[in-house]
Amino acid sequence: MDSENYVFLVKRGDEKGNSRFDRFNVPKKKISTVLEGLVYISENLDGTLSFRHSCRMEICGSCSMQINGKPRMACSTIAESLGSNTIRVSPLPHYQVIKDLVVDIDPFFEKYRKVKPYIIRKDDKSPGVELLQTPEQFKIYEQYSMCIKCGLCLAACPISGSDDDYLGPAALAAALRFNLDSRDEGTPIRLEITGGESGTSRCHYAGECTEVCPKDVDPSRAIQLLRRTGISHELKNAFRRGKHAGKR
Amino acid sequence: MPSGGESMLESDNGTLGWLNFFHKGIGYFAYTMHRISGIVILLYLYLHFFVLSNLLRGGVAFNDLITSFTYGPYDIFIVMDILLSLVIFYHGANGVRLMLNEAGYGLKHHKLMFFILESGAMILMLLFLYYAWQVLLSGGGV
Repeated sequence: MDSENYVFLVKRGDEKGNSRFDRFNVPKKKISTVLEGLVYISENLDGTLSFRHSCRMEICGSCSMQINGKPRMACSTIAESLGSNTIRVSPLPHYQVIKDLVVDIDPFFEKYRKVKPYIIRKDDKSPGVELLQTPEQFKIYEQYSMCIKCGLCLAACPISGSDDDYLGPAALAAALRFNLDSRDEGTPIRLEITGGESGTSRCHYAGECTEVCPKDVDPSRAIQLLRRTGISHELKNAFRRGKHAGKR
Repeated sequence: MPSGGESMLESDNGTLGWLNFFHKGIGYFAYTMHRISGIVILLYLYLHFFVLSNLLRGGVAFNDLITSFTYGPYDIFIVMDILLSLVIFYHGANGVRLMLNEAGYGLKHHKLMFFILESGAMILMLLFLYYAWQVLLSGGGV
């Protein structure tokens, strides 16, 4: 085995589904992260290789891809930490490939938008004054607000792989994040969405979204907490309906 | 230029993606095994109903059928019974964990819960098999 080089096996493909793995030798002393390896390939070996990247510091969420069988951020994956001279890089599963390692991330954000990931107020108008929040109130949802929308969780989720309609871990964690926000009044609206057929009931708690999350958001935990809130909400609704029916 | 393209099978999509354990966590393993064990139990249920339906043919015919399953060239059914008990105990224990977790309990320790509940289930299964074996040896299984 060539100890001077990493062997990058990069999955190349297009929208039509044609794909193959290309092999590149990348000098170990030239790179630290997998992203640097891909940049090296692009600049020195094959300028046609397509992949996304931007911040290079695990903030923008652009360089998500499957590395050695696991969805990871290429910028924060140290090549040496993979423990192998061979590094297999392929596009994120559960997404449509546009070209090589670039996938169509639109469905991910469409699902994200569905849960209304913003502050909802009952009066639906600008409050006119700043909505104050104590550090304690912020701490309650802080963990879930760390999501960088990298989409790794959706790629790791086995349900997302077999059910296109499932909202997915990121969207559901975002719903919980805003439900827990003391300034928000939109919980009943979101629970109607997340309690539907494509929501929390689709999760079977494989926990893989949490395993791959680079920001320790713990989406699988968020989904179970959201499920519990949803069940409680449904029971209360059923009880209210029962009371109204009894009065008639 | 790349030093050569090669075709490799790699799929995480669809239901078959459930079977891809490579670099996955224990939760994924538990998830997939829960599905497989559930399917096995469902198939067994239909087989069970089929066998029980033979009671309609009378007690003698039913006993003849059961004896044909458990004696002679078909005594492999004993091994299948042991595997079935493994599947049922696994599925039951993981089901209890999932019920608790999905109700919001023990979420921070779900992996530990998996190991504890499955270990308990396997101990119970061994006890069950031991006593079942004793019954078989004493002729109670005939």
